[in-house]
Amino acid sequence: MSSEGGAARSADVLGWYLYGVVAADASPNFETAGLAVDPAHDVELLAEGPLAGVASRVSLEEFDEAALTERIGDAVWLEQKIRAHEQVLERTLSAVSVVPCRFCTVYRSESELRRFLSERREPLQAALGRVTGRVELGVKAFVDRERFVAGQAPRNEEIRELRERSASLAEGRAYLERRRLEQLVSSEVERLRTTAGNDIHARLLARAGDGMPLTLQAPEVSGREQEMIFHGAYLVGEDERKFEAALGSLAAEYRDAGVEFELTGPWPPYNFVPEELRAS
Amino acid sequence: MSSRELESYRSGQPAQLADVLERVLDKGIVIAGDIQINLLDIELLTVKIRLLIASADKAREMGIDWWQGDPFLSRGNGHGELEERLRKLEEKAGLPTTRQRERSGE
Repeated sequence: MSSEGGAARSADVLGWYLYGVVAADASPNFETAGLAVDPAHDVELLAEGPLAGVASRVSLEEFDEAALTERIGDAVWLEQKIRAHEQVLERTLSAVSVVPCRFCTVYRSESELRRFLSERREPLQAALGRVTGRVELGVKAFVDRERFVAGQAPRNEEIRELRERSASLAEGRAYLERRRLEQLVSSEVERLRTTAGNDIHARLLARAGDGMPLTLQAPEVSGREQEMIFHGAYLVGEDERKFEAALGSLAAEYRDAGVEFELTGPWPPYNFVPEELRAS
Repeated sequence: MSSRELESYRSGQPAQLADVLERVLDKGIVIAGDIQINLLDIELLTVKIRLLIASADKAREMGIDWWQGDPFLSRGNGHGELEERLRKLEEKAGLPTTRQRERSGE
């Protein structure tokens, strides 16, 4: 329960916030108490034919278009709502397959939400069919420059020579040699980003239902000092073990090149649902 | 790979906000028509959220500083591409564009 303005809010007109769509017969048993975008209301399943909306009541005043423009200026509010959206979907995903909606999908009334489920039954069922029994996994690969150089030195003569010279030369000359080494390593890392990126994606894709490369994240975003050389999303189902095995062998192969892998998820399959769902 | 080995690839922490934002704001189905906020406005809204996050100091405090890796923001100087996208969306929505508003305010 929110601590402030409980009485005032009870007078609000309530709408429905839609997190995602699941199969009505999936009879999910998941715990979402207190997770909703408006913690005062529980997450409910609104079944309509073969589909059900994962939704919760929200104040239309809070989620009104005009109000939203102001609300998004409130970083704390924004992070809370975005986290709530994700957490409800993660809980849902732990029990059933789900087609996730974008942030802030709000209906004015239950009947409008139900009408959406019945009118868009076909494209929704198609979208759900594609992700049934599957989750999205995120894969990131980073290169540690020091380990990359150490791994390259035995093979790359130029790198080896520059390394040895910068270690033995007097300070002034050594600085120049180190700069040359840095430049050389940068171009080698760039090459790795292309070759390893293609190799990683092709091999993971072969073990997944679908997949796509995502935008590389800067260190400020990824939270890691090392440079990200690959970022991708994969739709994985029963073949999850094969996918993980492929990731394992990639990690073993690229270890000497100073490449480390990170697996995120399971995510609701955000990257594998149609972006727009227009009336059929 | 054993599950224990695989564990080492997972950060073991709650999802990074940047990863959540990339998905929740940019992916997932968008429903045209019959919702409180229409399709164009949702797009406007999420572009605005991004611009706002990009310029807000408190966004940095709360850890939302992912725009630095955002292709719309990181290319060229300033927030050019994202602002261009916002301008086009506003035009499509029949709203005065940010640029026009700025001019009229000058």
